Amino acid sequence: MSADPRRAEIDRRVLEWVCESRWSYNEKRFEELALELFAFQFEHCEIYRRFCEGRSQTPENVKTWMQIPAVPTSAFKEVELRCFPAEYTAHCFHTSGTSTDVRGTLYLDTLKLYEASLLPTFRRFMFPELLLPEDRVAMRVFAPSQIEQPDSSLSHMFGVVLDALGEPGSDFDIENGKLLFDRVLTLLVESAASEVPLTLCGTAFAFVHLIDHMNERGVLIGMPSASRIMETGGFKGRSREIPRTELYAELKRVLGIPAERIVNQYGMTELGSQFYDSVIRAPSEPRRKLGPPWARVVIVDPETGHQAATGHVGSIVVVDLVNTGSVLAMRTGDLGRTVLDGFEVIGREPGADARGCSIGADEILIGGSP
Amino acid sequence: MTPDEIAEHLAHLRDAGEQLKRRPIGEVLDLLGAVLDGWRDPNSGWRRDLEDQLPSATGFTAPLVREGLRRALDDWTGDALRELAIRELGPIDALDSASRRRISGFDTTAVLLAGSIPMPSLLALIAPLAVRSPVIAKPASRDPLTPRLVARSIAETDAELGRCIRIASFAADDEDCTRALLEADCICATGSDATIASVQSRVKPPRRLVADGHRLSVAAIVPPEGADRRIDLAGRLAADIALWDQLGCLSPIAVFAVDPEPSHAAAFGEALAVALANAEKDWPRGSIGASTAHAIAQQRAEAELRRATGRTVAIHASDSTAWTVIVEDGPEPRPAPLHRFIRVVPVADPEHLLNAIEPLGAHLAAVAIEGFGEGTAELAHALANLGASRVCAPGSLQSPPLDWRHGGREVLAPLARFTDIEVTAQEADPRSGSADAASESAGFASREADPR
Repeated sequence: MSADPRRAEIDRRVLEWVCESRWSYNEKRFEELALELFAFQFEHCEIYRRFCEGRSQTPENVKTWMQIPAVPTSAFKEVELRCFPAEYTAHCFHTSGTSTDVRGTLYLDTLKLYEASLLPTFRRFMFPELLLPEDRVAMRVFAPSQIEQPDSSLSHMFGVVLDALGEPGSDFDIENGKLLFDRVLTLLVESAASEVPLTLCGTAFAFVHLIDHMNERGVLIGMPSASRIMETGGFKGRSREIPRTELYAELKRVLGIPAERIVNQYGMTELGSQFYDSVIRAPSEPRRKLGPPWARVVIVDPETGHQAATGHVGSIVVVDLVNTGSVLAMRTGDLGRTVLDGFEVIGREPGADARGCSIGADEILIGGSP
Repeated sequence: MTPDEIAEHLAHLRDAGEQLKRRPIGEVLDLLGAVLDGWRDPNSGWRRDLEDQLPSATGFTAPLVREGLRRALDDWTGDALRELAIRELGPIDALDSASRRRISGFDTTAVLLAGSIPMPSLLALIAPLAVRSPVIAKPASRDPLTPRLVARSIAETDAELGRCIRIASFAADDEDCTRALLEADCICATGSDATIASVQSRVKPPRRLVADGHRLSVAAIVPPEGADRRIDLAGRLAADIALWDQLGCLSPIAVFAVDPEPSHAAAFGEALAVALANAEKDWPRGSIGASTAHAIAQQRAEAELRRATGRTVAIHASDSTAWTVIVEDGPEPRPAPLHRFIRVVPVADPEHLLNAIEPLGAHLAAVAIEGFGEGTAELAHALANLGASRVCAPGSLQSPPLDWRHGGREVLAPLARFTDIEVTAQEADPRSGSADAASESAGFASREADPR
């Protein structure tokens, strides 16, 4: 916990909520904690305070959690946003990216809230049928381990999940940057033969590599019916890019796991909480992203900065109480729209507004070497 | 449209092209000159139809279309076309007489259009005809209107010339239709680098490919110290930015302010903001989608955070996303969301300016420069070395002359086949002055020169 008593108290109250066995989406409780945390971060993060003051938004006039100024997640590439002295930094997570990308950094003075938050969310949306804390499942993770990539929040998350929910023998299947195809295929075949379901977790591009490998080998496996997949992230530069509907169709074809048991997780290094597809928890309802009570999403009309009308496409803004050490309100780089009580992420349509012969906005950067 | 229909169009154009080749090139240029003069006339039916219909087809606002066309077409006269032809092809009279240089158009030229700014489409359709090549055009998905109106204007000017142009509309991902279109003898393609690469991989000799990838422009100024001059320059640059909503390859996406004193760049940024706000009143920006608005909001927020760190970043912006001026404190590479989003980037001196522009060189179209005094010529040459094909004054970026060598390449010449005839009846056989030898040589030369 934080050395700052005010922050420690906020951490304690958020942790209390996170650890409750029954989830309650209590609006008043969320608002109180969010405004309190905003006031704390306004006071203790000078850059964030100046950012808010630049918008004339301060704890004095911000009255609801939706009014809390959100910083763009991309800012973590060049700005250090933390509410604690630098010497208290206990852990750094870096955003993913290619070798030429500038990577963002999240500084943490404690992992306690982060780890406490991710497990109940993972359980609720991946294994709603698991009732007892000691229940375990057989899992394989198509991502590097946290030992191999200690600065990856995703690897850290999978490590925590494996420790808490994985049956003995569950493990990571990427080593030295390579998916261990032979081992994976052996385990998949064993699972099919024994009818012991497997849960496969990993990055979307790792699943694309697996599909390609199985196609090259002409291998089709019928996984046990309770098997499921959690995939996350994009493809850019890591594998061929395919639409999610096509990815899911391919996964069903080569593994026999239908889309209804494939969950996309929406998360990012800058956020302590994650959001999951609803398909396993609410199979008869429209697929949408759902999250825990201590993290909320609002779809913002980028033209006005206000909440977008229901069903309209806008910027995804996340207010996450777990982000006590950095900034709780984040404007993500993604577009989305509300769906029932959740939301869906809408990929940017390439060239959607490119009407001229100038080069696209995301194709070139203006400026040069200093 | 089906691949078979495209094949039929090409067959029709080959037939129509036989007639076209028999017409004197001067006559064809006169007809096309009349077409251009008609487009210049704001009261012509073609121009009025374009001004009326382009906004709904493309999303540009009507005042913007009117002003953009007025500025762009003002110098695109019939005389300018004739001068262009003379400059690139040679004396017109000589082209139709038995001369030592023969120029012929390809049997068919296919034009793949991109974007929704009308002037490139107008020129792209006229240019092949000017070298007497019939043309088939695939309109850009975002502007199905302009090519049809241009085709109409040509047909109304001269029915026979009108039979030498066909429009082929099909989806960009229709591979079968694309393949059929690429059966033309000369291909002019405009589009993204990916589109151009795809076309390049499929067009092999003897077919000719004339390709233009996407490009961008910038401005480089020495910020004026006096308020009047600052306002004047800002107004001209605001027009360059606002017209066509900053989406053309001649739209500046950054203004480099060359001055060791950063406060001059800041003052110019303020003036530019005022000018863009005025431009929004005169020529409102067109509609944009959520992803563009999102990108603009994201870039504004990032700039706010940089300012919050204590860096001297200034943000001037409309309440909506209609226009944005970010005055940066350094030349780090940053995205350009376009749609009237401009960064003013201070650089200490011309050397730093060239360092900042150099990474853009491969995509550079034009650079608008002002305030460099005696260093202007040297700077222009340095910019040319970096890849700029046009160096002009602020305020004229959106009015390129008809003969601007887009991409550093001529306008008409790349669409023509040139034959230099180095022999005559007498020169063909210096050993003999016999009548038989001379007539044989003359016949041979004549067959080579006549594409039929």
